[in-house]
Amino acid sequence: MGSASKSGRDHKHSEPDEAFNELLKPVYKGKELTDKIDTVEDKWNLLPAFLKVKGLVKQHLDSFNYFVDRDLKKIIQANQLILSDIVPDFYLKYTDIRVGHKSNASPDAPIEVLLPPHECRLRDITYSAPIYVDVEYTRGKKIIMHRDLEIGRMPIMLRSNKCILNGKSEEVMASLNECPLDPGGYFIVNGTEKVILVQEQLSKNRIIVESDEKKNIVQASVTSSTHERKSKTYVVTKNGKIYLKHNSISEEVPIVIALKAAGIISDLEILQLICGSNQKYQDIFAINFEEPLVKHNIHTQKEALLFIGERVKTIRRFGAPKLSKLEEGIEAVANTVVAHITCEDGNDLKEKGLYLAIMARRVVMAIENPKMVDDIDYVGNKRLELAGQLMSLLFEDLFKKFNSEFKMNIDKTLKKPNRANEFDALLTINVYSSHISHGLERAISTGNWSLKRFKMERAGVTHVLSRLSYISALGMMTRISSQFEKSRKVSGPRALQPSQFGMLCTADTPEGEACGLVKNLALMTHITTDDEEAPIRQICYNLGVEDIRFVDFSSIHVAKSYTVHLNGTIIGLTKFPGNFMKLFRFLRRSGKISPFISVFANSYQSAIHIATDGGRICRPLIIVENGISRVKEEHLRKLKLGEWGFDDFLKNGLVEYMDVNEENDSYIALYEPNIEKTTTHLEIEPFTVLGAVAGLIPYPHHNQSPRNTYQCAMGKQAIGAIAYNQFKRIDTLLYLMCYPQQPMVKTKTIELIDYDKLPAGQNATVAVMSYSGYDIEDALVLNKSSLDRGFGRCQVLKKHTEVLKKYPNHTKDIVSGMKVDAETGEPIWQHESLGPDGLGEVGLKVDSGQVYINKCIPVNAGDSMLGNNPNMPNYGMGNHRETPVYYRAPEPSYIDQVMMSTSSNDQSLIKVLLRQTRRPELGDKFSSRHGQKGVCGIIVNQEDLPFNDNGISPDIIMNPHGFPSRMTVGKMIELISGKAGVLNGSLEYGTCFGGSKLEDMSKILVDKGFNYSGKDMLYSGITGECLQAYIFFGPIYYQKLKHMVLDKMHARARGPRAVLTRQPTEGRSRDGGLRLGEMERDCVIAYGASQLLLERLMLSSDAFDVDVCNQCGLMGFHGWCNNCKTSEKVIGMKIPYAAKLLFQELISMNIAPKLRLGDVF
Amino acid sequence: MQSDNSGPIVKIRDVQPDCVNFVLSECDLALANSVRRSIMAEVPTLAIDIVEIEENSTVLADEFISHRLGLIPLQSDDVDSLLYNRDCSCGDYCELCSVVLTLHAKCTSEGIQTVYARDLLVEPNHSNLKIGQPILNDDANKGSVICKIKKHQELKVKCIAKKGISKEHAKWSPVAAVGFEYDPWNKLKHTDYWYEEDADKEWPKSDYCAYEEPPNPDEKFDYTAKPNNFYFDVETVGTINPNEVILRGIRELRNKVAGVIYSLDEIVARNANEGNAENIGGAGFGTVYGGATQYGGTAYGGTAYGGGTQYGGTAYGTQYGGTAYGNNSAGNDDYNPTTGWD
Repeated sequence: MGSASKSGRDHKHSEPDEAFNELLKPVYKGKELTDKIDTVEDKWNLLPAFLKVKGLVKQHLDSFNYFVDRDLKKIIQANQLILSDIVPDFYLKYTDIRVGHKSNASPDAPIEVLLPPHECRLRDITYSAPIYVDVEYTRGKKIIMHRDLEIGRMPIMLRSNKCILNGKSEEVMASLNECPLDPGGYFIVNGTEKVILVQEQLSKNRIIVESDEKKNIVQASVTSSTHERKSKTYVVTKNGKIYLKHNSISEEVPIVIALKAAGIISDLEILQLICGSNQKYQDIFAINFEEPLVKHNIHTQKEALLFIGERVKTIRRFGAPKLSKLEEGIEAVANTVVAHITCEDGNDLKEKGLYLAIMARRVVMAIENPKMVDDIDYVGNKRLELAGQLMSLLFEDLFKKFNSEFKMNIDKTLKKPNRANEFDALLTINVYSSHISHGLERAISTGNWSLKRFKMERAGVTHVLSRLSYISALGMMTRISSQFEKSRKVSGPRALQPSQFGMLCTADTPEGEACGLVKNLALMTHITTDDEEAPIRQICYNLGVEDIRFVDFSSIHVAKSYTVHLNGTIIGLTKFPGNFMKLFRFLRRSGKISPFISVFANSYQSAIHIATDGGRICRPLIIVENGISRVKEEHLRKLKLGEWGFDDFLKNGLVEYMDVNEENDSYIALYEPNIEKTTTHLEIEPFTVLGAVAGLIPYPHHNQSPRNTYQCAMGKQAIGAIAYNQFKRIDTLLYLMCYPQQPMVKTKTIELIDYDKLPAGQNATVAVMSYSGYDIEDALVLNKSSLDRGFGRCQVLKKHTEVLKKYPNHTKDIVSGMKVDAETGEPIWQHESLGPDGLGEVGLKVDSGQVYINKCIPVNAGDSMLGNNPNMPNYGMGNHRETPVYYRAPEPSYIDQVMMSTSSNDQSLIKVLLRQTRRPELGDKFSSRHGQKGVCGIIVNQEDLPFNDNGISPDIIMNPHGFPSRMTVGKMIELISGKAGVLNGSLEYGTCFGGSKLEDMSKILVDKGFNYSGKDMLYSGITGECLQAYIFFGPIYYQKLKHMVLDKMHARARGPRAVLTRQPTEGRSRDGGLRLGEMERDCVIAYGASQLLLERLMLSSDAFDVDVCNQCGLMGFHGWCNNCKTSEKVIGMKIPYAAKLLFQELISMNIAPKLRLGDVF
Repeated sequence: MQSDNSGPIVKIRDVQPDCVNFVLSECDLALANSVRRSIMAEVPTLAIDIVEIEENSTVLADEFISHRLGLIPLQSDDVDSLLYNRDCSCGDYCELCSVVLTLHAKCTSEGIQTVYARDLLVEPNHSNLKIGQPILNDDANKGSVICKIKKHQELKVKCIAKKGISKEHAKWSPVAAVGFEYDPWNKLKHTDYWYEEDADKEWPKSDYCAYEEPPNPDEKFDYTAKPNNFYFDVETVGTINPNEVILRGIRELRNKVAGVIYSLDEIVARNANEGNAENIGGAGFGTVYGGATQYGGTAYGGTAYGGGTQYGGTAYGTQYGGTAYGNNSAGNDDYNPTTGWD
């Protein structure tokens, strides 16, 4: 901006349709169809293809789609029947469930949402679609089918396949006031946009072995999770022996007893299962046979079950029959311990025994070799829980509650002896129809996930989508929050894990307490959804796996024999693990089974693990075979021509998804030349190790790593364009930049996430030099003329909502018109910005103290309507009291928008949007894209600023001391690339691990008559002399951050006081005082400034005159001691009101604090 | 500094409609820089200062549009015929101190219509003067884009353009950039060439090197040498033609100096009246500036100068450097600032 000469000379008018033309081009972003295809260079084109298919928030959308399309049906099936305890032949059965569609609707009929999403935002309504179920039930003797029964409304995730925006063109989106670049993936509940953050947790249904070397404990644990239960089972060592531990069993059960209870009775079998033929293992395990025999004398399964049954903590549910001890034991082993292994008939507990034996074996292995433990921070042991899973837990809970109440209601009706009509169950169902809707709505809007059946209470699951900038909204969609407690001081979960590579962004994490616990997804990450287990199991058997059920235990742990585990559960054995995996992968690559199923071998455990469960993090990689990449030139050409999409690469087995475990088991080349004979995969593009937010940084690989992390935090605070519909939005707080620019130095990520279309910053011409001394400590010097021309100018929009209530006595709130001065006929000053309707007039200025909604509430809102004539409510002013909304701020605002509507509960809703346009001022915060923030220290006239021989003067002067300690070399390269780009008329790239080369940039600079280093000779604007030193001078992209002085400045001489203590109030919003805190007080004491102390702590705060009776020591009143009934010894003095309050409070609890007054000298 | 009394010399190298390239020589660096600063910050021009918005249904906010309107360059050749608004006797604005422009754009067709600076209409009060017309320098003669409107959107504003200087707001700047250079061979060693291997190879040569003798490496460094030739490259925004910008810049500079002298003189006069002249600076004060009294008081004083036309044109250079000021500046050189100016 400062380089006025550039704007002046190169001012060419671009055609208005340029933006459209670009969209119409067959190939995106400057790549021509005729360009030579270079597989090394162009394989990155797979990335945009991937993002085109999946979008930026695909994980949320996939998860939600899975939930509404498949999970709901499973839930319905699991809770299918409602029976009556009264009438035995009554039943009601759910046969189907749908969201948004009736049963007869054609598949491409629009979803039945009430309102388009933007209207929901504006009107504070929930964006939801009806949930329809089909039921079958008995009425009398007849069986009746009923279709499309609405049981509630489901909040709909934007851009999911139940959203009306799904697959819509840009024009349709525009007509719905939606921004086509908005990623979706959030909900709109009561008008606020809510995101369900991705939750990270330890894998479910997997054995995790940990050891505590100090306490000499090894434990294997498994968190079982099924639709009904969540429980955790441990196999632990205690004094060298192994026990089974479970919350519902009151004491630890020796593992041998547990195995016997599970039907593995023979000691030999137990030993074979746990130790195989390994002598060391046998020695370690042998001791465990002693206790059951000697101490408990247990030999048979029945004895073992009894043993367990006696120790079960029983929680009887109401109405359930009492069980015998043996039954308790069977119940415990069959259903409570390792609950995710289901035993169909309750008698065949062997599979469970097998599972426990495997757990015990892992413990034995870890005892023998302490390195055989699992790393709980390893990303492969983590599962990510997304919106869909959380919603499904919640929905099932609500649905169960709905059903049980429905059942109680049916029973209540059926109990009545003589019914006039035949009973129709559907008549009672509608009573509870709001239950599910409200439950879902409340959970999303408060973030409290309370699941009755798991007795689980989780707070802070949802967050309001931050709309500070486009990037902040996008960053929020990729955020992962850990279940880990923030307060615990352990470094493990916070540390960067090598297995994070390519899956989770290595730079984007907050500073401070949540550091390392809140993470972000990398650019190409995908999160799996659940897949069916049964077909995979069958495929395994077909591929030659011996079914574990028919295998002799002695052959399980034989050398060279591999166990095959499906989702952690052993399903069989194979003698040819390599071959099996090869075949299995072949099936996956040829599309016969889901691409998200992973298979990998663990040679230490001699096990092959197959995972089909949801929540695994995975990413696509190019398959390499025999040292040759499968993606060839012709494939990339097809991609460029648009004949192929990403899915075609997947289908043709050129690319596959790898989860962390499988990735850990493969040999991945970074670039094509690095491929060796044993290489299995090739990276698509190395810069995808970073996420969307870190992708904004140019040349991040040249920066010190914390700087990239700082930028990730700051990029979210930058003011810029938010969305194409930003002027249609009425948000609580909206920051917009007047002239945002796309960065001179872009990255490929910037183009992929469309940051260049919704940028947040401006290319400032920066001189790295010292100037005026007002630039120390990272302060910036700004050019006044640049500010005049619009640099850093932004708009701040604030919303105020007012609801007009209706009261039971037929009165209601009204908005009354402006008051008019009797003489002039002009409105009074307070009402100057009002229109005749009592609402602020759009475009008018409101000063502090003026009214912009002249609301009035009825005087008698509490009165009952009895006695009044309800048909003639009196709206006259006499019955209303003014409660106007005043504008209070140091600077005036303008009224931008006024909206009147009705909210969902039929009350009038008024939203007024106030606008301020702000130019940067002293103290406003700016930052480059390299974690280099600074506040404006001084604003200097352009003629005083240094300039180069072309007369270009900087917009910003930055102090060079910012560089040595920060080591942000990327910023310097950004400047050089930017300068070269400006001179060359091109946009340069600063993509991570790539981008425009410094050498090329220097060459451009030299060609254009500049020094290759980016330094220029500058002249002092004040003296005209040239500066002795050469100055690093060129464009750097600067962001204006949301922290502005205007929102923070605060001072007070006198002002309001708190009622109770009479001390000054606290905080800027209450015009509070500035506290002289304890440490400051210490300083004053140490200095000995007692009078100052007295003044600050009492006189300027809460001095209070009291009358103290020196006889009784209590406080009197008006020179009179009511205790002594005399005024003789009453002395007036000043004490803090807080002290007086304390005395009185003590008196109220029967403690009499007495004051003894004496002379000071 | 200069041995003779010929004063500064201006050599014009190139003139184009919106820029001028000249060499200022035989003067001090301070003076040359003052001219540059004066051109940038002190030359009055006309720019839209107040916008009365009648109808704005565009997507841009009122302030946004007003800001954009303010930055549109307006023809300011005859801006001297206007008074500063603050000096005018009118309450709000009048035709003596302002030019009124109106803009009314409404889109009635499908598609997007662009509102350009050419759509601004000047109210005819100043029709015989070159003042207030928006500058349309582009090929299509459209001027700057104000905003874009689609069907049924409307922008109707009344703009009041006032005279002002760039010190107050950059919109009043007559120039886009002022190139300024001296000593292209760095003979004076004012700057250190930063280099890795060879400064001569690594640093590009200035265009002006051709106009000066390359340094003789055998020659001894003259530490008393002063810069003499100053290469200016002034690019205007089109409001005032480039020659005029320079002249007005110099005029403003001279005005300022005159103002200083005039006020000093007043103080001297007041002190003399009060009879305690010795309180100020040195005793020689009055005498040194004796010549200046006449200068400040008569020639430059007050309104006579305000018209400004008499100082435009060719006669300027000689008049300026030669007589009145030249003497003073010479005197100034001898004068000890530490004792004198307080």
